[in-house]
Amino acid sequence: MPAIRGADREVECPSDTPVLRSLLRAGVWLPNSCNQGTCGTCKVRVLSGEVDHADAPLDTLGAEERAAGLALACQARPCSDLVVEPHGAPGDAGRLTHPLRDVVGTVTLVEEIARDTRRVLLALDEPLAFDPGQYVELSVPGCGSRRQYSLANTADEDTVLELHVRRVEGGLATDRWLCRTLAVGEEVEVSGPLGDFVLPSEEDDDGGPMAMIGGGTGLAPLVGLARTALARHPERELRLYHGVRGEADLYDVDRLRALGDDHPGFTFVPVLSDEQVDGVRHGFPTDAFTEDVPKARGWSGWLCGPPPMVEAGVAAFKRRRMAPRMIHREKFTPADAAGTSTPAPHVTQEEVA
Amino acid sequence: MTTTPERTTPDLTWLDDVTMTELERNPYPVYERLRAEAPLAFVPVLGAYVASTPEVCREVATSPSFEAVITPAGGRTFGHPAIIGVNGEIHDDLRSMVEPALQPVEVDRYVDELVRPIARQLLEQFEDDGRAELVAQFCEPVSVRSLGNLLGLEDVPNDTLRDWFARLNRSFTNAAVDENGEFANPEGFEDGDRAKAEIQAVVDPLIEKWTKEPGDSAISHWLHDGMPEGQTRDRDYIYPTIYVYLLGAMQEPGHGIASTLVGLFSRPEQLEEVVDDPTLVPRAVSEGMRWTSPIWSATARITKEPVTLAGVDLPAGTPVMLSYGSANHDTGDYDAPSTYDLHRPPLPHLAFGAGNHACAGIYYANHVMRIALEELFEAIPNLERDTSEDVEFWGWGFRGPTSLHATWEV
Repeated sequence: MPAIRGADREVECPSDTPVLRSLLRAGVWLPNSCNQGTCGTCKVRVLSGEVDHADAPLDTLGAEERAAGLALACQARPCSDLVVEPHGAPGDAGRLTHPLRDVVGTVTLVEEIARDTRRVLLALDEPLAFDPGQYVELSVPGCGSRRQYSLANTADEDTVLELHVRRVEGGLATDRWLCRTLAVGEEVEVSGPLGDFVLPSEEDDDGGPMAMIGGGTGLAPLVGLARTALARHPERELRLYHGVRGEADLYDVDRLRALGDDHPGFTFVPVLSDEQVDGVRHGFPTDAFTEDVPKARGWSGWLCGPPPMVEAGVAAFKRRRMAPRMIHREKFTPADAAGTSTPAPHVTQEEVA
Repeated sequence: MTTTPERTTPDLTWLDDVTMTELERNPYPVYERLRAEAPLAFVPVLGAYVASTPEVCREVATSPSFEAVITPAGGRTFGHPAIIGVNGEIHDDLRSMVEPALQPVEVDRYVDELVRPIARQLLEQFEDDGRAELVAQFCEPVSVRSLGNLLGLEDVPNDTLRDWFARLNRSFTNAAVDENGEFANPEGFEDGDRAKAEIQAVVDPLIEKWTKEPGDSAISHWLHDGMPEGQTRDRDYIYPTIYVYLLGAMQEPGHGIASTLVGLFSRPEQLEEVVDDPTLVPRAVSEGMRWTSPIWSATARITKEPVTLAGVDLPAGTPVMLSYGSANHDTGDYDAPSTYDLHRPPLPHLAFGAGNHACAGIYYANHVMRIALEELFEAIPNLERDTSEDVEFWGWGFRGPTSLHATWEV
């Protein structure tokens, strides 16, 4: 059992487990986001020892980088004792974090909340520590695949996980399982938490204004983030935009509007791209933001949804002069990015440091 | 042995027609031809040999057969002993005088607190205007205010410091000589002389004060550091190096910031990358310094003995000008060198020179440029070049954009 030393901590690591997972299981933070080899956030430099790059895609980790001793921590398996260090800006790598754990969740609710969209609640056998905005992986029964879903919870909601699941036609996880056969009482294998789509630490959060834009079930992590941000600073300005195609795709409107009752600085703005409905904004949520906010200097921004929406959101935020380092992104990308053929909702994320 | 230019460069008669004005507007065509035909060549208008490729520049800058010399116009402007043109003990002493404040460990201690508030304060003055001329409103002021405060010139206004470096620059690069090797435009030094008189009127009282009451400013340290108790370096001894600072060290970080911006504006997708990921700023700056090297052709060496280099026989005592801005466009090292490309392989470039006279302020200057650009992109992430205005570069000795108009939505 090789030991991996990263950031002055020694971690036991089985040779069949990616380096990143071993570090996170031991509670040692390494920047990470997609956990499927596509985003490059977890790139490390191997200072000594050998790794098996396993399924690391050449697009993310080129031959030159491999030759130079770089590895993708989410893919690389240790072949010996290793010493690794984060590549690029070290950020807060090496700090203690919520350990990555395997838990069992029992389905307590399956609720149709919008067109092709379900809310799933999973009661855990033991509490799971995480930061709002992070995600978990579910093991798809009978096939060994895993799928990633953002948590809509706040940190104190650590015994019942809330997931928002949208059915993808032909999707291995959603069409065949979560949106079809899943029933109350079923047990689900859960690994988490993962990802870095999170708020600044409480001491670094000065209560500044925030903009959040979610596309479809990209709303889920924002529900946890928004409630946490408002609990920290009840008076803060926070604008939450939810972009969907039509009225039938909206959900949790009353729940989110109600947040405004106790928080005068909070505004929830649903936006429909394909339908004109009285009383509901029409267009893209990113355009609605630029219409509403003339200047976002000093704001922070959170974006979660399909890649084109996230890119449009980055452009909209910068157009209103939000500092790029304050822009946080979580992209949905197809699960088949690594080669399988069935697209399913899947989260990868890259955060602008 | 004597070597005449005619003998070593028989096919370089085209150089007879090269003028200072031509070099100042755009030196690249002449130097491109020099690199191809004669990487070490006598250029009549400069009255000196010119090294134009990386290999020859490196050799001249690092060979024990050469030592430093200031260019004639530079020497006329700065006087003796300027740190860039002296050797041996005097050079050692001047380096030991300026280096403590420029050591990486020391720069790391102060540079963020020094530069970041200055950059922010400048940005506050125009960030809501939606347009700015960045050279005059940001690049040059960040540079001069930061170094001014470091030197102890807090009370000298930005515009005065900018005016001084511009006038010293024109004097330092008034390099043209006639067929007798005499300065072709001696009147071109007069304004530099007036600038020096103004500088002394401001700095003399400060020197007098710091002589009696040592302070924390760099110039105060220059007076006292390493001197026996009760003694200070003579002001005439340090003034030439003060002028080196007030020209090059004041002007060039501003040139570097502005050139990097022009380069990034020429590659909008690369600008976007850098704005989104500020950790790319140092790489963007490094490429900016390669692409338009601020100290384009301002330093020189002189042979200590007869030397044969690049097929040219140089007698002892032959000055050679180092054209780092040309070397950094050598196609042997760089594909499409006139293109700004953030992603080109990060080969070491010669923008900060080489050898024991390499720029002492490299670490400091790189951080000033980095912090300035970080703050600019933080405040104005939607920055665009104002394409209704042209960007014009000027300079042979020192080079950068003369203005840079930008717009953004507010």
